[in-house]
Amino acid sequence: MTPVPLLSVEDLVQTFPIAGSKSVVRAVNGVSFTLDQGETLALVGESGSGKTTVGRCLLGLITPTAGRIVFDGVTMGGSRSVRSPEVKGKLQLVFQEPMESLDPRMQLHQIIEEPLAALGMNRPDRQRRVREAAGRVGLPDWILGRRPAEISMGLQQRVGIARAIVSRPKVIVLDEPTSALDPTARAEVIELLIEIQQELETSYLFISHDLSAVRQISRRVAVLYLGQIVEEGDAAELFASPRHPYSVGLLSAVLLPNPKIRRETSIRLSGEIPSPIDLPKACYLAGRCPLVQDRCREVMPPPVQVGPGHMARCYRVDEVSRLERSVDYFGQFQAEANRILGAGVP
Amino acid sequence: MTAPQRLDDRPGDAVQAAPLLDIRGLTVAFPRFGAKSVAALRDIDLTVRKGEVIGLVGESGSGKTMLARSIMQLIPEPGRIDRGRIEFAGQDLRALAPEELRQMRGRDIAMIISNPRGELDPLQTVGQQIGNVLKAHMGMGPRQIRDRVMELLRQVSIPAPERRINAWPHELSGGMAQRVVMAIALACSPKFIISDDATSGLDVTVQAQVLDLMRDLVIARGTSLLFITRDIGVTAHFCDRVAVIYAGQIVETAPRASFFEDPQHPYTLLLLSAFAQDARLRRYWLGNFTAQRTEGVAAAGCAFAARCVRAEARCLAETPVLRETKPGHFARCHFPVER
Repeated sequence: MTPVPLLSVEDLVQTFPIAGSKSVVRAVNGVSFTLDQGETLALVGESGSGKTTVGRCLLGLITPTAGRIVFDGVTMGGSRSVRSPEVKGKLQLVFQEPMESLDPRMQLHQIIEEPLAALGMNRPDRQRRVREAAGRVGLPDWILGRRPAEISMGLQQRVGIARAIVSRPKVIVLDEPTSALDPTARAEVIELLIEIQQELETSYLFISHDLSAVRQISRRVAVLYLGQIVEEGDAAELFASPRHPYSVGLLSAVLLPNPKIRRETSIRLSGEIPSPIDLPKACYLAGRCPLVQDRCREVMPPPVQVGPGHMARCYRVDEVSRLERSVDYFGQFQAEANRILGAGVP
Repeated sequence: MTAPQRLDDRPGDAVQAAPLLDIRGLTVAFPRFGAKSVAALRDIDLTVRKGEVIGLVGESGSGKTMLARSIMQLIPEPGRIDRGRIEFAGQDLRALAPEELRQMRGRDIAMIISNPRGELDPLQTVGQQIGNVLKAHMGMGPRQIRDRVMELLRQVSIPAPERRINAWPHELSGGMAQRVVMAIALACSPKFIISDDATSGLDVTVQAQVLDLMRDLVIARGTSLLFITRDIGVTAHFCDRVAVIYAGQIVETAPRASFFEDPQHPYTLLLLSAFAQDARLRRYWLGNFTAQRTEGVAAAGCAFAARCVRAEARCLAETPVLRETKPGHFARCHFPVER
């Protein structure tokens, strides 16, 4: 692991103007994080939390309103984007909807090959790399002449992953790669992503609201709410002892397939995520939070260190830890799962 | 704040009431020109008792929605019921005339589908859409309708119902739209509700709210619910009994406690293994991935055999039947998992 992170994001802000109006959509409001080589950081949150916008800023698909992104020693922004020679091919993206992100008129091998065209690689090399990437994701040769509509969604997502790894990137942004998939295809894709990371030491920014997948893949988790990281920490620690009311709400909504195991909580969020056009003045969660106090509506709470590498942006972290027993529900579930799934395994 | 009664606390086999819906040997086929017809559902047996919540888990193409549509007698052309019967409240649904069926849908059996915003008519207000059902099935007048609509909006926990009654569908968030669709389903106090993947498009915290609401309404009214989903995790906390459907067949069904304590079919274990942290267990149940050329389901043998890690010669030759492996617990497998 290098002392300088592979990717660092500082105070990223992204606003979008609204035509014919003075107000703006505040999609991302000061997000900072780092990503080391070979590690996975999960960005979790509901729709409207700005997860996808953060990913798109990283890739230079949109130019951030403010903030600094340093990738592999190169400061992004201005003329430097994912298309610049220093960065080209080192950052890739896997999309949520496989069918909508594959060109329907291309054959699968052409789709996988496309990122290589920009790298100025010769044809035999390109073909070798395509076969290698396709083999890595389990696509047999006979299927590569087909087009996206002829294969299942699980296979389509494998094509999307092959396209992402073909240029041997250092970082892959995975934007909800499993949420459109069937349960078995989802399990297969998660397995594949874990294998690829072990083999190629790729770093993942795993954007998802699928918290059980997040727990399987990630070492660190950042919880995003209205374009702000409200809690960040080691995945095991944050899942066992969340300290921000919003994280508690998210985690108690996770339904694991065991009727006896569920996070019981007295902290229940009301309502839905508000529009990012009229953001609350101070704490963004104030309108939904059962622990709200007057100061939450007046001054934005600063990030509080609640443990090693564990941060929460809330005045009431102590109250949360008083109300919430620290229980490792995922650990309990795993113990049961090992018993149930272990039967009959040689 | 505690919910009035949690399904989580209800022992899985507590519901012993008379069957409300009884499906026996249902087979639905789609004929093809110059080829053998394709069976979308094969030999489905399913009983739903009064007040019972049944979770039906399966992936896309497994026949979940086809089963829902068969119950509603809305099988898309050219599909048809080959064999079997569907009895609802003692009546054979296949024997009913189209007009009788039309009366029954929405009044006795209601259905909630996914994509709530797609289901609502964009040119009618929330109040009009809920009112339509009341007018058609209950013959209510405008005054009565308005009162009942307000009552329904309150029941599904829509804030400021007096404003929402005049809202258009595009003004609603996904969670609000799903609540409106639920209000439509509940309008005539049906005995039976089918929820077809109704919560999967919602965000996790909103899904939790909608599920809590659905559960409370079902318990309060004694309604039966067929809860169709792709997410096996939800069924563990929401259903009295769970059935897993694969390739048009029910492969395992049991009361919830027994189902999750002692799952027996390899396909169920595959679904559960997706949640495991232990890579060895995950990889074992998932099996080796190989892209297969798509072929029809083999005439003989187990439909799951090609993907099953435990498959043996017998599985390819002999079709397994759904048999009782322990009291109330059924699995369609020659070699159910024992522990």
